[in-house]
Amino acid sequence: MTPSEVPQTSGGRSGRLAAGSLEALLENARLLHSSLELEDLLRSLLRSVMGRLVVTRGLLALIEGDPSTSKVETVAVSRGFRDLPVGSLFDAEHCRTLGAEHLLPIGDPHHPVGHLALGRPIKGELADQDLEFLEALLGIAAGAIANARAHQQARALNRQLDQRVQQLRTLLDLGRSLTSTLEASQVAQALGLTLAGQWLLRRYAVVAWNGDASPVQRLKGMKIPAAAEIREELGALAGPAAIEELPQGALRSALEAQEAELVVPLLSGDKVVGLVVLGAPAGQRTFEAGDRDFLAGLAAQAVVAFENAWYFEETLQREKMERDLALAGEIQQRLFPTELPQPTGFGLAAHNRPASQVGGDYYDVLSVSSGENQRYLICVADISGKGMAASLLMSNLQATLRALLDTEPDLAGLVLRTSRLLYATTPASKYATAFFLLLDPRTGACRYVNAGHNEGLVVRRDGTIEEMTATGFPVGLMGIGEYRAEEFRLEPGDCVALYSDGVNEANDQDEQEFGMDRLKAALVKRRKKSAQDIVDGLFEEVDAFATGAPQYDDITALVAKRF
Amino acid sequence: MAENFSIEATDEGDLTTVALGGYLDAHTAPEFEATLQERIDAGRVRIVVDCGALEYISSAGLGVFMGFIEDLRDAGGDLKISGLIPKVREVFELLGFDALFEIYDDRAAAAGSFASAAAG
Repeated sequence: MTPSEVPQTSGGRSGRLAAGSLEALLENARLLHSSLELEDLLRSLLRSVMGRLVVTRGLLALIEGDPSTSKVETVAVSRGFRDLPVGSLFDAEHCRTLGAEHLLPIGDPHHPVGHLALGRPIKGELADQDLEFLEALLGIAAGAIANARAHQQARALNRQLDQRVQQLRTLLDLGRSLTSTLEASQVAQALGLTLAGQWLLRRYAVVAWNGDASPVQRLKGMKIPAAAEIREELGALAGPAAIEELPQGALRSALEAQEAELVVPLLSGDKVVGLVVLGAPAGQRTFEAGDRDFLAGLAAQAVVAFENAWYFEETLQREKMERDLALAGEIQQRLFPTELPQPTGFGLAAHNRPASQVGGDYYDVLSVSSGENQRYLICVADISGKGMAASLLMSNLQATLRALLDTEPDLAGLVLRTSRLLYATTPASKYATAFFLLLDPRTGACRYVNAGHNEGLVVRRDGTIEEMTATGFPVGLMGIGEYRAEEFRLEPGDCVALYSDGVNEANDQDEQEFGMDRLKAALVKRRKKSAQDIVDGLFEEVDAFATGAPQYDDITALVAKRF
Repeated sequence: MAENFSIEATDEGDLTTVALGGYLDAHTAPEFEATLQERIDAGRVRIVVDCGALEYISSAGLGVFMGFIEDLRDAGGDLKISGLIPKVREVFELLGFDALFEIYDDRAAAAGSFASAAAG
């Protein structure tokens, strides 16, 4: 309604308004129409009515919404009617019983926008002139009220529009920030700050789960139960939900106890990879109907960023692990002797080829001095498992052997002490099969302990082969047990070959094994060559057999030959 | 994010002034949060955030304010805001921050409000 469409007042009395009243009316009309704030307008209307007619009690009630359909009428301004405060329901009869003497409609009497109620004037009765003035004034007021209401609505619409724009800005801002973030904790932070600012939150929680890794969290005055405790309830979450919409369970009771209001799942497809929990907004803010879609939008952006961050993290970790492995492999290779001792009358050669960067095979040749008598401890070992753990045990084995070597004159005793030490310092799943050979180069006399290792092979000058089978359990496997030392002698032209199962178990393309027969034949064929040639030849044959099939196990071979 | 963000915290007496400039958004808000946290950890509870040079603020930027206000007031301090340009002020009002925080025209007025509160 525009000011020009002021409803006509009823009756024909308006023409008889006194000049003074007209002036007052004009002034009031100006005043009313100058105010677009409904509350101010109503207050000033009531004030001028009460002032002019000298009444001490008055109130204005307005019908909520459209007067032609709505019946709900509430008190908008109240002066002196203590039992009818602002916001209370207005009822004409009730109002009369509380002392209202005059009840006048505002605007069209058939469809008024509200009512004016007045208590008894100080001077007693109201004159006709006063009533005429009131009718005219209320007619003008109806127009002004309609105006103010239209203005109020327009403002509310504008505000809504501004808020939508702000939501869009927020989405854009978060998205822009997240694209440059590669750390999950920063994603949680950006999301948390955005939520806090958008809804004036003091208490909220963001948690994101990446498999079994410890969750990424940002907790502000709230906690979220561990994923394992609420797995079932998480599965049922398809979008933002109020706490009272959740099924009964650990999640709901935990969130209720913390007075959470909304829960927003972070969804990757159907899978819940995280959770956002929001406490109550501060001040005048509340969660509104449209907020859920907006929250779902923010959550979707965060999920993409979380997944990017996790992927990046994994890639980094993989690269780091590869670097670590390469480093460990380098260190391990240095544990192998760079040059084998060559005792008088003997040739020694060995080679190791790990299957991966870090291997589990080990060989060593240590000199054992006891007076004039220089002997050599030759060792080939295969550590259980592969990778870092195996390489650690390998260096452990080497250090233990070296430390004990000069304190334990007896070979079987040395192996037993080594085994016990390894058993005590490593998990039971870590052990090593090993072949220990003590060579006296002056006589060719050999003592050996085979601790659960492959048969050592003695290749005689005439091509016959003797096998040296196990004489005890693998070292480090058990804390108890005995090792038996056996003896033999290498005559001129004889050689002994020690190796790991990577040799005889090498596979070809059809997963056939190289086998002991080929191994023995390769040794016999080359028995007249040097130790180095025998070792090299053996590797050549294994490679020719495998013809490019992947090497699954470390390959180690060591040959000692008496000239 | 192409825009710059600047932050400078200065302590004077028992008042800490944090001057912000440029764009305070989800990308730069963590820096603001860290600076405030550091000052509060150092026992500073009377804080004026001078936004005079602030050209833009996003919800994430406002979120930083929410994270500290309760602790500061519990500790007998407060966080007051000064110097909002109209565009920034609109966002404060739109999201209801003007009802939660005291906002002053300039830094001196905000600082003065602390002083008069202390005197009273």
